[in-house]
Amino acid sequence: MLVIRPLQENDLDDLYTMAQNAGKGLTTLPADRDILEGKINHARETFNQRIAPEAGLYLFALEDIQRKKTVGISGIQARVGLDEVFYNYRLSITVNASKELGVHVRTPTLQLSNDMTDTSEICSLLLSDEYKGGGSGLLLSRCRFMYLDDFRKHFSEKVFAEMRGVSDTQGRSPLWDALGSKFFDMEFTEADMLSGLGNKSFIAELMPKYPIYLPMLPESARAVIGRVHDNTAPALRMLQSEGFNFNGLVDIFDGGPVVEAFVHNIRTVREGMNRHAMITRKPVNLDVPAGERAMVSNRSFRDFRVTTLPIDCIGPDTVSMPPEVAEALQIESGDPVRLAPLKDAGGLTKHRYTSSVSGGASKWQS
Amino acid sequence: MWLVRPARPDDLDQILTIAGTQSARLSSTLPKQGDALTNKIEQSIASFSGRTRAGSEPQRFLFVLENTETGAIAGTAGIDARAGNGQPFYNYRRDALIHASHELGVSRRVEVLYPSHSLTDATLLCSFSIRPELRSTSAFELLSRARILFIAEHREWFTPRIAVEIQGVQLDDGSVPFWDSLGRHFFDMDFETADQHSGQLSKTFIAELMPPNPIYVTLLSEAAQQALGRAHQITLPNLELLQREGFQPGCFLDIFDAGPVLEARTDSLRTLVASHSKALHGTHEDVGETCLIAAGEREQFRCTLTPLAETLDDKLKVPIATWKVLNKTAGDRVRIAPL
Repeated sequence: MLVIRPLQENDLDDLYTMAQNAGKGLTTLPADRDILEGKINHARETFNQRIAPEAGLYLFALEDIQRKKTVGISGIQARVGLDEVFYNYRLSITVNASKELGVHVRTPTLQLSNDMTDTSEICSLLLSDEYKGGGSGLLLSRCRFMYLDDFRKHFSEKVFAEMRGVSDTQGRSPLWDALGSKFFDMEFTEADMLSGLGNKSFIAELMPKYPIYLPMLPESARAVIGRVHDNTAPALRMLQSEGFNFNGLVDIFDGGPVVEAFVHNIRTVREGMNRHAMITRKPVNLDVPAGERAMVSNRSFRDFRVTTLPIDCIGPDTVSMPPEVAEALQIESGDPVRLAPLKDAGGLTKHRYTSSVSGGASKWQS
Repeated sequence: MWLVRPARPDDLDQILTIAGTQSARLSSTLPKQGDALTNKIEQSIASFSGRTRAGSEPQRFLFVLENTETGAIAGTAGIDARAGNGQPFYNYRRDALIHASHELGVSRRVEVLYPSHSLTDATLLCSFSIRPELRSTSAFELLSRARILFIAEHREWFTPRIAVEIQGVQLDDGSVPFWDSLGRHFFDMDFETADQHSGQLSKTFIAELMPPNPIYVTLLSEAAQQALGRAHQITLPNLELLQREGFQPGCFLDIFDAGPVLEARTDSLRTLVASHSKALHGTHEDVGETCLIAAGEREQFRCTLTPLAETLDDKLKVPIATWKVLNKTAGDRVRIAPL
């Protein structure tokens, strides 16, 4: 059984192994024990509310209970850009027109922006290769929306995600080569790493501040602006199905898009519903396809836990679960839980409940 | 004998012939179209007459180089009393920023081109054209420097700051690297078209079409970067002459081809400093050094080259033939400057 829970001190070894296997692509989780330990401590303080809410870093671990092993991580940063400056390029249009000459030219332009300042970011998603498929990635990503939903006052109304941009197998980014490298005198991977480690003041110091006119960049660079890395395409599709949209901002290094959504519009949030837990001794087959499972959370701020249950377990007021699931969620019978679909529309109409209750009470009809 | 005098309406056809043989860049200040040129000559005549005043109509002077034996026109030269002629005068200012990171121990010089109107209202030398075979003769120097003598004689019409735009790099195939890397994207036209527009239409089209923000040099093409502030090969004699006159390249570049803009303090120009006013006296011999000699105010202005001798009592012995060309007679004041 896979369970989401807050990241803990003893996750360090597993996290380090994961970061090592991930390679250079994931800059927010470098394979550096000190940095990872710092992140864990930061997350612990956040869940225990020992730091200012806006400084919060909520990191969740995906644990394989049977193996007692952490196999994935995902996070929410409460606010970006408060102690460091948060940069993006805004992909905008400059129009130059002369009526006299009948000329009207639209020039795509990158404008340096700090528009995401004070906004919550979903970030740091990493899943071990052996656990990919079967809905683990969905659980790891979507559990965050359940958390955002239940604890909205800790986050901004709007949340965003930065999607990894295009780079080749050697880690070379066409946009970096055409733009960043002209100003930074370093490799993309190095700059990206420094940025991921939080040494961001160098960006402010070295970045071009004036707008960049895209026609002055080579086609190879223009082509990747607002495009995601092939490996990130599934993550982008998942976020799009949640209601996230490209907001016109791109990463200043690799041109990857920023997608955003209002929390109240996120699909997982809209389709979530409350039940009470009912522990049952009847055997439950937990091993059903992702499309027939729902996420179930314990709604705890400090010890947030989420796992999945077959949608068959959901009743009008309660959700029945075997003791091991209740234990994983650290709840008892009668405790409030919140449910949300694990997968996009598809398996949810099979939910018995929709046909047994009149009046359209079900939120899950699709 | 070579004579520089104000352009007249009946010079039109001959000037058009010369304008047609010049390379593209000149068209911004010397139109190739009859109508536009007629206007320019009329404006010049009004300016020479003193009817126009700074602040109302633009003062734009156009001179021609005439062969007095044949009446043929062999070149043109102009002065705009106020660059921009009442409208903004556009340049790029080449400047630098230091991007430094203390944390990373990196310091980097980043060159930036800023749109600038700084030279607006400076006096501008312009419209210079001459038959190619005269390029390395003294007529070339006469035509260019006659303007400075005119300024010396009418100093109050001109400003303390003087500038001249030098044509920038254009390749043999007619392409202009700087234009191709920058302006073309925004103006959506080829270089010649833009250049002609800048001469004929009101310059508001530049305000409308020019990119409004500074340009990072490092993002220009290699060829465009090479062309920044570089003069076209054919302008080199002119460039040398102007530098001897005291003009220096500063930080300003042409917005179309990135050619250099030379600047000087008007009162420090060599011809202006070295010239002096004398009373004209006759001689029948060609004696003494060949000098520039100018006489006459406003539309009567004439300038030519003549051998002359200065006497100790402040008189100037000049061949009678020169008198005729200058329309002057004994005792009249003339201004001379050494070649």
